[in-house]
Amino acid sequence: MHGNIMVWQVLLLTLYSMYQIWDELTIVSSLSQPVWAGLITGAIMGDVTKGLIIGGSLQLTVLGVGTFGGSSKIDANSGTILATAFSISTGMNASTAVAAIGVPVASLMIETDILGRFTNTFFQHRIDRLIDEENYSAIERNYLYGVFPWILSRGIPVFLALQFGGNFVSTAVKVLDTHLKWLSNGLATAGALLPAVGFAILLRYLPVKKHIAYLILGFTLTALFSTLYTNVQSLGTTMSTVSKGFAGSFNSVSMVAIALIGLGFAINEYKRNTEKQKLTELVSSYKDSSQEKSNDSEDGEIYGDED
Amino acid sequence: MATKTNYKLTKKDFNQINRRNLFFNQLGWNYEKMQGSGYLFLMLPQLRKLYGDHTPELKKAMKTHNQFFNTNPWVNTIIQGIDLAIESKEGAESLETVSGLKTGLMGPLAAIGDSIFASLLPAILGAIAANMAVQGNPFGVVIWLIANLIIMYIRWIQLPLAYREGTTLVTKMQGQLNALTDAATLLGVYVVGALVATLINIQVPFVAHIGKVTVTLQNEIDMILPKLVPGLLVGLIYWLLGRKKMTSTKAIFIVIIVAVVCSALGILGKG
Repeated sequence: MHGNIMVWQVLLLTLYSMYQIWDELTIVSSLSQPVWAGLITGAIMGDVTKGLIIGGSLQLTVLGVGTFGGSSKIDANSGTILATAFSISTGMNASTAVAAIGVPVASLMIETDILGRFTNTFFQHRIDRLIDEENYSAIERNYLYGVFPWILSRGIPVFLALQFGGNFVSTAVKVLDTHLKWLSNGLATAGALLPAVGFAILLRYLPVKKHIAYLILGFTLTALFSTLYTNVQSLGTTMSTVSKGFAGSFNSVSMVAIALIGLGFAINEYKRNTEKQKLTELVSSYKDSSQEKSNDSEDGEIYGDED
Repeated sequence: MATKTNYKLTKKDFNQINRRNLFFNQLGWNYEKMQGSGYLFLMLPQLRKLYGDHTPELKKAMKTHNQFFNTNPWVNTIIQGIDLAIESKEGAESLETVSGLKTGLMGPLAAIGDSIFASLLPAILGAIAANMAVQGNPFGVVIWLIANLIIMYIRWIQLPLAYREGTTLVTKMQGQLNALTDAATLLGVYVVGALVATLINIQVPFVAHIGKVTVTLQNEIDMILPKLVPGLLVGLIYWLLGRKKMTSTKAIFIVIIVAVVCSALGILGKG
């Protein structure tokens, strides 16, 4: 357990960090998401579970953060790579790594993102000029050069941090575990609380006021069920250790079941909406026909093709 | 070269545009014209077929399509499909119309695309994947990949569809998409509510000693409503985010600092 990460691991992680921004921009396969970053980094570093936990936590933190209109967003993907790599190589606690490494790195990377977007203006100007020169292949070439600012904006910082940051992080872990226990506990608490930010951001983008009833339903149903299930689980586990004849498996609450209840509500809403649309269209076509006395029925425009 | 062109796009053309869209769209993104040069790059080979190399029409078309453009990268080829349909019918004379159409469509389509593909779907799929991941289960992550492969297929087939249907496609979609978006946002709000109740492992470790009676605060809170603390905290952060000059990054750091302080004071702890 020392802060060293093998050279091949550094190189693979750097390559992945360069691929992920490419994927994020145009392919969008989800491989660039923090959960995948956690899984892949965990696999490279030899601890998939820890990677998934860190990736999952950071995923929840940025759940509602998207890029709109080309603004830079907090780069939780690179944050996950570094947090996972250092957490595994130095033995840092997963929640602490999320708050102490993941988030600061993710927000620092906004700067390199801006730099990348800025550098690309150079190639844009070249394209502007090449159009006048009618040099078609050069236009395409200079467009594709745009990939370099992008991948380097992730690759360089990730490489430098992985290569040279190890000793610093492992010293920090030692201090955190001994002299600054309160801080390390605090960072773990922060790591556990960060998903709350993700949920709040997400709610900002969703029509909360309109669907407030369903927010309450989802929260309360799950709060009750999860408490119930957890209690039954601990009761059952204790019982089976006390009494030998007592057997049975106890699972935690099924989130799929909870989501299905929500899906039911959503289907109802969809049906209500389409009914409403049909009605308004009927009314308007009736008005049209009574005013113009023509038989021009305009249906088939919106609900013409089912599904 | 005549101004009017009679070139009809073939399946090969669509595939070429789609390949470029899937792998190279947004690579040229920059602050000046955003996806501008990308729009041109995606259909440059087709423009050359439409107008012919080294013609004034082609130059005009290239300049038109190298202008500022920015929309959601899941729906952009709908605009390009409609654009190509018009240009292949009307030729260079339509370029002014096309440029109006581009600016007219990029806003509304960005709104639809951003709300469905850029926030709602990633939020729901990400929540499921993350929920499983924090328990060490990679299955949800794979579900996300599969879902995005399906979306890629839709992105692939929307281009020829837009080329065939033209502008009627957008109006046709609008009504259905509204109903669908409404239902999907309902599900989104509901799922967030459920996630708040399961994924924020925070509790109040504070224990009060009043004479000989010890009061465990968390126990009292659970009597009122389990998961009340996570619920209130999300409400608090939601309010915080609505304040002026507040960004999500700032909010994240404020939460970290407050969490460290509260943990040191023994008010909040990891559950």
